[in-house]
Amino acid sequence: MSHNGAGPVVSFENVSKHYGSLRAVDGLSLDLRTGETVALLGPNGAGKSTSLDMLLGLRKPTSGKIQMFGSDPYHAVQGGHVGAMLQSGGLMPEVTVRELVALVAGFHPRPVPVDITLKRAGIDSIADQRVDKLSGGQTQRVRFSLAIAGECDLIVLDEPTTAMDVETRQLFWANMKAEVAEGKTLLFATHYLEEADQAADRILVINRGRLLADGTPTEIKARAGAKQMSFRLDSVDEPFLLGLPALVSVEIRNDLVQIQSTDSDATLYAVIDAGYRPREIEVGSLGLEQAFLAITAEDDKVNGKAQAQPAGEAIGK
Amino acid sequence: MNMRGTLSLTATEIKRLRRNRRYLIFTIGLPVLLYLIFSKQKASAYGVTFAAFYMVGMAAFGAFSGAFNNNTIRISQERKDGWIRQLRLTPLPPNSYVVAKILASMATSVPAIVIVLLLGRFYAGIHMAPWKWVAIGVTIWLGTLIFAALAVAIGYAFDPDSVQPVSIVLYFLFVIFGGLWFPLSGGLKTFGEVTPTYWVMRISTDVFGTGSIPTAGILVILAWLVGFVTLATLVVRAKAEVL
Repeated sequence: MSHNGAGPVVSFENVSKHYGSLRAVDGLSLDLRTGETVALLGPNGAGKSTSLDMLLGLRKPTSGKIQMFGSDPYHAVQGGHVGAMLQSGGLMPEVTVRELVALVAGFHPRPVPVDITLKRAGIDSIADQRVDKLSGGQTQRVRFSLAIAGECDLIVLDEPTTAMDVETRQLFWANMKAEVAEGKTLLFATHYLEEADQAADRILVINRGRLLADGTPTEIKARAGAKQMSFRLDSVDEPFLLGLPALVSVEIRNDLVQIQSTDSDATLYAVIDAGYRPREIEVGSLGLEQAFLAITAEDDKVNGKAQAQPAGEAIGK
Repeated sequence: MNMRGTLSLTATEIKRLRRNRRYLIFTIGLPVLLYLIFSKQKASAYGVTFAAFYMVGMAAFGAFSGAFNNNTIRISQERKDGWIRQLRLTPLPPNSYVVAKILASMATSVPAIVIVLLLGRFYAGIHMAPWKWVAIGVTIWLGTLIFAALAVAIGYAFDPDSVQPVSIVLYFLFVIFGGLWFPLSGGLKTFGEVTPTYWVMRISTDVFGTGSIPTAGILVILAWLVGFVTLATLVVRAKAEVL
């Protein structure tokens, strides 16, 4: 290993990518450290794919600097430091799965034995089938196998488990954890939030090409700042509920009341002080999905107009 | 440099071509069939028998078609499918894909050429000095390189939907105006004399007939080769970020 944990394996320094007046990525700065499993979250068009493309040397930043393994993305990929699977990546037809994996393994300075890769990707049973005759889920696993066909230090996966059924997905993450346990760094983009919650030890939320949040799943959930509670109430008085302190939102279905609040204690006491006796009270943190929606929605509300303004207008923090 | 990777990609490309029935039909089957049917005509062209003229024509027809039509479609499709992108995520140098395609075309054009020349010798009974056979084979083989280079430019420039008609029209322009199917004369010949296909024919028939090699022909072929290699390089560079 040419890299042994001193400093980040990847660093983005104020990286931007503009297409005409569209800022696909806008001043992104972040570091990935050795051994981390990092989830990249963001709505469609947030700049995830462009960021991964730049990280892998497929696109050049308009401005800013990306460093990987003490070099630039192109040389890091050429040096066999990176294994990657992109949504937009395809396979060569007319060869068998085994032939394809063997071919790609042969490009690497540190190839992994083909049988091991086939097993890890769960495709040993289809090794002799033609690549162009596979199902969507099988194709996805073959694409994954190409990302792990060489010993690398960083694995980058774009939506790795789309088209996988639940069982395959669990198997996938079990294998992935074994890979990462060897000290590899893993960066994956996903739109399955529970996947990010379970698999990642760090989450990056990006929206409009900017980094909005960076922390553990717990920190991200806390960052949304709201708690969630629910209770049952026999005689629901909607105007009263809407007037509760610290309220973010309220939703009423028959006798079931669901509330998001920035101060769950204050909100609940106000209900009780007014003489109500709510039943089945549950108070909890927001799930990652709600936190994610809250973070991006707030950003859209604050900066929503920025997109319509002419390019060159500075976007405030 | 990752020469080993480029060569193993080339070997895989050759393996794919051998498995492709369509490719074998158009590069070997069709020229062989046409040669069996038409070579025995009692005629002459460019000062040699029709059998000799048609042998060169069919060998070139198959070899050029394999390097051109087949590659334009594959390159365009593989660009769209993301295979070229996937390769860029491996330690293989970015130009290896194109280099492997051209090397595979050059390798697979050899049997297409040799089989038709063998037919000329043993089916049509053409006799000439061994060096002439080699010179004709090599001329056609080097001509293949022009089409392999053009295929890269066309494959990168056009989407899979439009690449097929574009390559067929281009290819038949070179085939007809180069006189691969029938000898050129009159006004058509004046026009044909600027094509590389015409000169691949003429160099070969002159080698057989008079034993001399027309220098003008070599210059025309080299000019097309340089032109298409330059074009391919420019197109690939222009598409590097969009892939």
